[in-house]
Amino acid sequence: MATLNPPIRSASSRPPSLTASARLRRLARSYTLRVFAQAVVTVWAVITFTFFLIRLMPGNPVDVYIDFLMNQQNITYEEARARAASQFKFDPDANIFVQYGEYMGRLIQLDLGESITSTGTRVIEQIARFLPWTVFSVGLGLFISFILGVTIGTIMAYLRNSWLDNLFSLLASILGAVPNYIWGLLILIVFGVQLQWFQVGALRGTYNSSLTPGFNLTFLLSVLTHAALPVLVYVLGSIGRWMLNMRNSTIGTLGEDYVSVARARGLPPSRILLAYVGRNAALPMFTLLAIDIGFIIGGSVIIEELFVYKGIGSFLFWSISQRDYTSMQGVFLVITISVVFSNVLADLLYSQLDPRVRVGGGEK
Amino acid sequence: MVSQAAPTHERIIQTAPPRLMEGLLRPLRVFWRALRQNPVGLVGFSGLLCYALLITVGPLLVPFDNIVRLDQIAAPPGSRQVLLTRAEDAARYTTLESLAGRTVGYVRETGGEAFLRDYLRANPDAFQTEDTRWRSGRGVPDAMQALADGEIDALVVFSESVKRFIPHDPATPFTNLVVSNPALGAPHLLGTDTQGRDIFSHIVNGGSALIYTALLAGFFSSLIAVTLGSLAALIGGVVDNVLTSIANFVLTIPGFPLLVVLASLITLNNMVLLAALIGALSWPVLMRAVRSQVLSLRERDYVEAAVALNLGLPHIILREILPNMMSFVAINFIFAVTSAMYQQVGLIFLGMAPINDYTWGVMLYFGRTRGTLFSADSALMVLAPVLAIAFFQVSMVLFARAVEEMFDPRLRTAK
Repeated sequence: MATLNPPIRSASSRPPSLTASARLRRLARSYTLRVFAQAVVTVWAVITFTFFLIRLMPGNPVDVYIDFLMNQQNITYEEARARAASQFKFDPDANIFVQYGEYMGRLIQLDLGESITSTGTRVIEQIARFLPWTVFSVGLGLFISFILGVTIGTIMAYLRNSWLDNLFSLLASILGAVPNYIWGLLILIVFGVQLQWFQVGALRGTYNSSLTPGFNLTFLLSVLTHAALPVLVYVLGSIGRWMLNMRNSTIGTLGEDYVSVARARGLPPSRILLAYVGRNAALPMFTLLAIDIGFIIGGSVIIEELFVYKGIGSFLFWSISQRDYTSMQGVFLVITISVVFSNVLADLLYSQLDPRVRVGGGEK
Repeated sequence: MVSQAAPTHERIIQTAPPRLMEGLLRPLRVFWRALRQNPVGLVGFSGLLCYALLITVGPLLVPFDNIVRLDQIAAPPGSRQVLLTRAEDAARYTTLESLAGRTVGYVRETGGEAFLRDYLRANPDAFQTEDTRWRSGRGVPDAMQALADGEIDALVVFSESVKRFIPHDPATPFTNLVVSNPALGAPHLLGTDTQGRDIFSHIVNGGSALIYTALLAGFFSSLIAVTLGSLAALIGGVVDNVLTSIANFVLTIPGFPLLVVLASLITLNNMVLLAALIGALSWPVLMRAVRSQVLSLRERDYVEAAVALNLGLPHIILREILPNMMSFVAINFIFAVTSAMYQQVGLIFLGMAPINDYTWGVMLYFGRTRGTLFSADSALMVLAPVLAIAFFQVSMVLFARAVEEMFDPRLRTAK
């Protein structure tokens, strides 16, 4: 593996000898570029899908909003329609495909329209305010559960069929089976309300609101303590899958010939564990990582609502309950984009760890 | 030759019925033998049996309790109706029957009224009744005062009310009142909710709608996945490319947020519609697995023979390929059901799915919106459905893992 890399690199460092078309061909074959192109196409497809879904639905939000304005403020249909059009930034008389074209045009300029309920606030600003908290808490939770789960899974595989392995397998099954918001509720009820180990009210929000955000210890500590419960729940909800998958993957790898050969060569166990078993057994985990990211971000709608953590998930729920359709559409878009690009990240990580993917074109 | 073949043929036909029975029973017996050796799987299987009983027989035994009782709000487990009398009558009046011809008191809009109403429906004219108006907490001590003054002979009252007023309240020391029958009514096994309704009856009745929807969603998801996966692998070419791209596309859409968005646009009060939506968003993982499974099964001789004989796609899928990945599909079906349960309860918990049935999810929703989540007294109102859902999911997954181990020798005999 290690010897494969230098020749490729030296080849790409000789651009003068390549013609323009050869360079283009090389670019087209680049794994990174292909992954990105796929992601962009997926995002475009999701945008198109949601656009037509929301416009063509029986309970079309624009019509619902027009009805709402007419009832609420006693204005005529024309006035309500004009108001809705200005807030959704669309021309209701135009053909739906023209509307779609305009919508895409504005999207490229990162213009997601204005919030319906808080007039004058741009949706993109709202998203910029809430998204980092979700990225932080979900990212931290995934990171911890991945590291812990993969480590425990390896230990389980080495000690397979011992009582410890059986115990951890059972534990992992239970952890993975119970929905993460159920863990959240249990933690709140048992440790927060009954045993009073922590103050439920004090841990709401993303940080202590009396502090001014800044790069100092008190603020960072406050951020960490407020994120602790959501992160704990994300860890509990996903660690079981890592443990079991890593265990099974490692057991499979331990039976491979190259591991036996490494043992026969008398390599130290630590080297076999890290360079031969661990690296190969962990590879399939990265494809799972992509699926898990989407799952956790999706579930963050419930978790953030439960812990009153002001991230993108709770903002999505808020905009839905307020019938703020422009915000809703924007947030759903951003959630999709973050899931798609987390997949890209996982793919690129995978290709970094496994050069076969880059060379073989990712096909089975 | 021909004359010899005929009797053999007949014999086969004659023995066909027992063979059919045998054919049905044998897998069950094999399944049971394998399950017995797997304690974890057995736990999961028994758990699922309990839930099956709970949602089928349970509602017949324990009807849904929808009577609001003002004196029983957030009562602890085991609390029930008791019979209160004056100390000198304690030995005489221990049951309602012994009160024939006497006057029995109750407080309006409480569990006592509901209890006596049921009793009098079965035995009209058993005794005279005297009701006291419920006045924000004063109704119960008023009725006790009437009992102490001798206006009535006995009082049907809630055990928590007795605890509250008799030993603790020095202002109204009903020293001559005693509980003559501490177990007049049936106990609230899990206590009562914020409206004084029995939580246990809600747990018994609140599972069926959720479980049926989850099973239906799992069925839809498996059906789509198996159909599309087999088609993609068997037809190949453009169909395969298109179906795989669709699967990859649906896989990237964050399913739960999309469900939440959809629920805000259309009313999801239809169980089948909700199940279909969940199923339509959750098939890709299984579809890709089925596709690769079928791709490898396709190379087997017997499938190639079926293809060569031109037996048709439905026959090849249903008779040659599907039986060989039944276990695999079954396991994935179970996981699809747990995931449907996750999404469904999540939607109800957020209040996005309109509430027709009072399910475990609705109990959680009220726990969140009415703040019972944060009160130590009403913990069981949320804790009980939490545990009901958790144990259901755990039973499902433990059972699935057991089935997985039964069919995957690599996991069973991993050295």
